[in-house]
Amino acid sequence: MTLSPAARLALALAAGLLAVGLAVAASCALGAQPISLGAALAGAEPDASILLGLRLPRAVLAALVGCALAAAGTALQALLRNPLAEPFVLGVSGGAALGGSIVLVAAAGLARVAGSAGEALGTAPPVALGAVAGAIAATLLVFGLGRVAGRLVPEAALLVGIVFNAFVAGVITLMKMLVPPEQANRLLYWLLGAVGYESPGTIAVGAALVLGSVAVLVLLSARLNLLTLGDEEAATLGLDVRRVRALVFFAASAATGAAVALAGMVGFVGLIVPHLVRRVVGPDHRLLVPASALFGAAFLVLADAGARLAFLPLGTEPPVGAVTAFLGGPFFLWLLRRSARPEEGTA
Amino acid sequence: MNPSLAPRPARGPVSRAAAGTLALALTASAAALAPARGAAADLLHPSGKGVAEGGAIWAGPRPSGPPRRVVVLAPSLTDVVLALGLRDRLVGVTRLDDAPEVADLPRVGGFLDPNPEAILGLSPDLVLWVTDGGALPAVRRLAELSRASRRPFPILALPIVNVADVLATPRVVGDALGDPAGGERLSRALAAGVESIRMRGEGLRRRRVLFVVGREPLVVGGPGSFADELLRIAGAENVVAGARPWPIYPLEKAVADDPELVVDAAAREPAGGIHRLAAIPAVRRGAVVRLSSDDLLRAGPRMVPGLEELFRGIHPEASSTGFRAEPGADAPRPSGAPGAAPPPAREPAPARPGGSRP
Repeated sequence: MTLSPAARLALALAAGLLAVGLAVAASCALGAQPISLGAALAGAEPDASILLGLRLPRAVLAALVGCALAAAGTALQALLRNPLAEPFVLGVSGGAALGGSIVLVAAAGLARVAGSAGEALGTAPPVALGAVAGAIAATLLVFGLGRVAGRLVPEAALLVGIVFNAFVAGVITLMKMLVPPEQANRLLYWLLGAVGYESPGTIAVGAALVLGSVAVLVLLSARLNLLTLGDEEAATLGLDVRRVRALVFFAASAATGAAVALAGMVGFVGLIVPHLVRRVVGPDHRLLVPASALFGAAFLVLADAGARLAFLPLGTEPPVGAVTAFLGGPFFLWLLRRSARPEEGTA
Repeated sequence: MNPSLAPRPARGPVSRAAAGTLALALTASAAALAPARGAAADLLHPSGKGVAEGGAIWAGPRPSGPPRRVVVLAPSLTDVVLALGLRDRLVGVTRLDDAPEVADLPRVGGFLDPNPEAILGLSPDLVLWVTDGGALPAVRRLAELSRASRRPFPILALPIVNVADVLATPRVVGDALGDPAGGERLSRALAAGVESIRMRGEGLRRRRVLFVVGREPLVVGGPGSFADELLRIAGAENVVAGARPWPIYPLEKAVADDPELVVDAAAREPAGGIHRLAAIPAVRRGAVVRLSSDDLLRAGPRMVPGLEELFRGIHPEASSTGFRAEPGADAPRPSGAPGAAPPPAREPAPARPGGSRP
């Protein structure tokens, strides 16, 4: 098939938007309570509240988180020049959870001393900023310690990320012991990775962060192509490698931090989605980044709908992070075996 | 550490646009602070007072007449409604509810994870909720939707953390359901039951007790917990010191504390499991009082028969009088009221005051 680059981009975007639309529609149509779409759109209660007040915001939340994680995963894979890179595996999500937890614990402590100041610190924006800061710190750590003799070694970086994740889980468990039970519940939420019912204000904060940082990654997507050639080649071709890499670092971390602030540590979305999208659209990041972002949104909306429906007979629902890990864990191992074969090039 | 990340002046239109977009996003997120703090803040920031101190919070309009479609988000509150004789008002309960009277009612999720969709689907005119951090996001969302809808319904949030709150709850619930007299009667009856146990314990030697709610890890009732208060009422002394209400307790500390008696309140775990704690001399001696159900820690009317069982276990010498939990002649209904303890079910105890069930 020979299509012009612009036509290919348009096609990928159209397919991605269609997928998001279908996923959101499916997520809105399905749930614990049977509702009539016609009645809901006509404003009849409780159908309207269930559709527009519960299912739609939740689908939007899942879409934002999936979009952020898939775009961040694509960018991190380009930076590390390794298909196994992913915000969760690399510890970037863990750093975000730690950053957010520190803000929450500080808020709990401050609330005891100065009530309203502590409450203000415990609201969505400071927690989100804490998560973003934590994600950036984790990215710096992983990419800094993943260097051997000045060269970035992907395997070393991945190992640093895995160890950092275990460290974060320990630290959050320690913090859980120190705070009142209500706060402990909130902290546990960070580790689970669940899309819940957030207020429109919180979703707006998350949307601004996610859309902003994903837009940065899309704008930089042509440069990501050059980065994957290697630093020297990219520099020879006139790319300011340091500057671009710093921006990609920052944007990918901000996207991950926002996703974690909204839904906790949902793993493997940034691994599954970019890989599947790459198989269809190819390795060109100008297509790959926006398409991954859109299909990531659709993927997590469907995964959350699946989580909501799977255990319906038991009257409960697992966190969506369990669903993505259930799918993503084996997928990671399969990718690992596959990329270990010498004849396979990395993306 | 990483020289490639050193800041440099922006170069090229794309980089500049990218940096600008990011700055814009961060500014926008800071600007959104106001809406994020807005709706239903009353549920988010309770006064810190329990029900007994007037800490119950109404979110949404107070009902004009007696509510007819009540959804209850905690089994202990279901017990209160049943004891008031108002079973016909209930339209939904949690999946943890095990009272036979509500076996056929729709379930709306759990105590920690209520399902807002299922609750809205029942078109309630009142939702009763025991304040708990785990369920807060879902209940807060529910309150926002109720407020925005054309038929707003109230949510009554009840912070139940101690015995006084348990005793005051029927009064508040009866009032909310349009039966203030019945609520008052039930509150008084429960208080009388607790008071009679306290009186009987007063002249007796206070046994030193370790109150176990989980064996692996060992979780015990510490100072400030609901269990600590119940032990005092039942005429016992808690051996656990420290600052946390439900600590994960080092076994060797439990051994060193050398309690005279161990109360095994892990009623939903096999009785034999207590032998994991055989290092504690009292367990080796067989000085273990096993509670037959989790009634005691249900912060509702079942607490009184539970307390009676605890008292008999701690003071067998004083229990030969054959006293039955006597809530008073004016207790309206036997169902779920003191004395009528249904068999234990399999789900973990839902309304554990003070939170922190591991």
